[in-house]
Amino acid sequence: MGSRRLTLTLAATLFLGLGLAPLVVMFASSLTVDGMFGLDRYRDLWASPRLPRLFGRSVLLAGLATLGALGLGVPLGLLLGKTDLPGRRLFAAGFILPLLLPPYFLALGWFALLGREGWLARLLPDAVARTLSEWLFGLPGCAVTLATVFLPLIVLLVCVLLHSVNPRLEEAARLYAAWPKVLGRITLPAIGPGVLFGAVLVFLLVLGELTVPMFLRYDVYPVEILTQFAAFYDFDAAIAAAAPLALVVGLPLAAEWRSRRFAAPDLRPAGTSLSIRLGACKWLWTVGVSSLLLMLVVLPLGALLLQAAPADFGDAWRRAGDALGRSLLYAALGASLLTAFGFFLGLLWRERTRGAGLTEFAALLLLILPSSVVGIGLIGLWNQPATAGFYASPGLLLLGYLIQYGALSGGIAHSALARLPPSLEQAAAVAGAGWWRRILFIALPLSRRGLLTAWLVAYLFCLRDTGLALLVYPPGGDTLPVRIFTVMANSPFGLVAALCALLVAAALPPLILTGLGLRREAHSP
Amino acid sequence: MSAVEFRQVWASYRGKPAVRDFSLDVEAGERVVLLGPSGCGKTTVLRLAAGFRVPERGAVLLDGAVAAEAGRLDLEPEQRGLGMVFQDLALWPHLTVRGNLEFGLKAQGVARAERERRIRETLRLVRLESRPDARPGELSGGEQQRVALARALVTQPRLLLMDEPLSSLDFELALELRREILALQEALGFTLLYVTHNLDEAFAIAQRIVVMRAGAIVRQGSVEEIRAHFDQVRRGLLASGTDGTAESAGVKG
Repeated sequence: MGSRRLTLTLAATLFLGLGLAPLVVMFASSLTVDGMFGLDRYRDLWASPRLPRLFGRSVLLAGLATLGALGLGVPLGLLLGKTDLPGRRLFAAGFILPLLLPPYFLALGWFALLGREGWLARLLPDAVARTLSEWLFGLPGCAVTLATVFLPLIVLLVCVLLHSVNPRLEEAARLYAAWPKVLGRITLPAIGPGVLFGAVLVFLLVLGELTVPMFLRYDVYPVEILTQFAAFYDFDAAIAAAAPLALVVGLPLAAEWRSRRFAAPDLRPAGTSLSIRLGACKWLWTVGVSSLLLMLVVLPLGALLLQAAPADFGDAWRRAGDALGRSLLYAALGASLLTAFGFFLGLLWRERTRGAGLTEFAALLLLILPSSVVGIGLIGLWNQPATAGFYASPGLLLLGYLIQYGALSGGIAHSALARLPPSLEQAAAVAGAGWWRRILFIALPLSRRGLLTAWLVAYLFCLRDTGLALLVYPPGGDTLPVRIFTVMANSPFGLVAALCALLVAAALPPLILTGLGLRREAHSP
Repeated sequence: MSAVEFRQVWASYRGKPAVRDFSLDVEAGERVVLLGPSGCGKTTVLRLAAGFRVPERGAVLLDGAVAAEAGRLDLEPEQRGLGMVFQDLALWPHLTVRGNLEFGLKAQGVARAERERRIRETLRLVRLESRPDARPGELSGGEQQRVALARALVTQPRLLLMDEPLSSLDFELALELRREILALQEALGFTLLYVTHNLDEAFAIAQRIVVMRAGAIVRQGSVEEIRAHFDQVRRGLLASGTDGTAESAGVKG
């Protein structure tokens, strides 16, 4: 076997083994009672009407949040990716912000704004404030918060898809029709399958979201898994609750995966496309988008951060110093591991060797599986006498990051590698370079910008992670998002806000440094 | 009367001038070929005529009316009444042949019965009457080329822009389609602004040839004048030991 096939097969096998083994063990364990096959666990758990009701609530919440994210995300994506709207980049950065923070930050922000003692509640009549507060702690509040958290996924996807449409198709249509008709008849049908794929992703991600519904006291299915595990210490019941959720997420993804294969959306840029000139309406659109950004992101997050008084920061630092350091360390280690592994996943997906399709599907499945399901699977697999040392170490959390976010770093590396003209590596091969040499001296340096981006994205996702860390952090080794989540129920709100501000501040320096690195890379020859 | 006129037009791409002080007057019903090597600005001229680019300086006029001038677009592409055949054809893959032809007619508000008649008639002209319900992906390269031509003609444009439409076809098919384009232009009488880097194609299609280099016109004249000029250049190149190909001649034009 050549070194290319050997390396890529090893990467595929390792990822599939590490990623799918926890799920397989979880399913097998859920179907076993005293060493024999049995459905008793499911029967016991599903006998009560509570679980189907919770499941229905989860589906309703996911449906509403997806509709919200789609309804706002598609027009926003068109405005930011296709028009000459002033300040497009700034707006894009603003709308992306909630995706980079733990999702419950936004829920805390809305609480700071609309809660009984919130900024807005203090300005409004009592009856209105009470109604708003009731609205927040329930389905509408959860749906709006999660729609805002996952809105960036749709916006980013629409922007990328717009650049992948052959510009000539739109130009050919522009000879006959104005932009609204061109968008409706040519552009949107062209990006439709990709947008649908994004909608399915958002639906499944919301379905698995834990922290926002927990904080806003809207009982949903994933909360039940955590409750069984953390409150009742009933691991078997937690597994029986988690396994069906894995199936519910996996089956639609598999169906969508099949249809995506047929539609084959290509995310590579297809050339400079025509931009829509907003003309005289430009400033009207700018005001509209600014208002939306203000309402959905700036006001809630601003209200949250403003809750923190200067004195709270000292207290927050004392309460969170060690957790903050660990968060940064784990995020940096996780990002480095993800980038290194993602490079080989990217190579595997570019070269379409055996197992590439299955690995791609597994990576996507693991990305959108609720973190509670992945966490329970990891505990089931690694909480054994033989692996107790690893189980009690930060290694388990890093492994969790690797399997849950592998799709992100692998996808970015794949995109960077796919843009390299094949002739560059072919020229090295003709010159006598073997596969490893071509990869190390041609592909790796030329894709460094993509890898830097992959590191940055992985860093932010590891840093914001709450659901996975909540289940698998080592004893006495919690991360800052977990610590905030656990103290926020019984701590002064000012302290919680200061802790949130600390995490935001911690995310900034690497973000700025990597951003500067990317900028320098972009300007280098 | 001029079908399209460029008056001292300047346009740049990423800070580099793509078209420099470009002036050209194309009469109604005339066949003009823009000839030159890759990157000389031919396609930019077509995009300026279509309204996809706005001149930074100078003006583009259609039928005597200003369509764009010095950074300002007066006529949107859909208001110009043009047809265009793109180098990669740009057939809408999710629409059938009929759908591709119908799009422009619907946008122009043509009544259903008239639409049907025009689509039938145009498909007959390009010998595709048996494939109205096929999608572009189900057609051969030559058939796709004919659909692109039919889509550009069905709206009965006064000016047809063609951007190296035959460059991806094999020699025999390109010859056949070249003859069809000429026959259609003579039958329908539209003005043709045609871009190519191929000398033989230019000589076959054009009534007038405009040779471009580095964004500017370096020579223009009838087919005979340009042919005589290139023959002279080629003889010179052969005598000096270089390859003497048409491309070299075009570059040296």
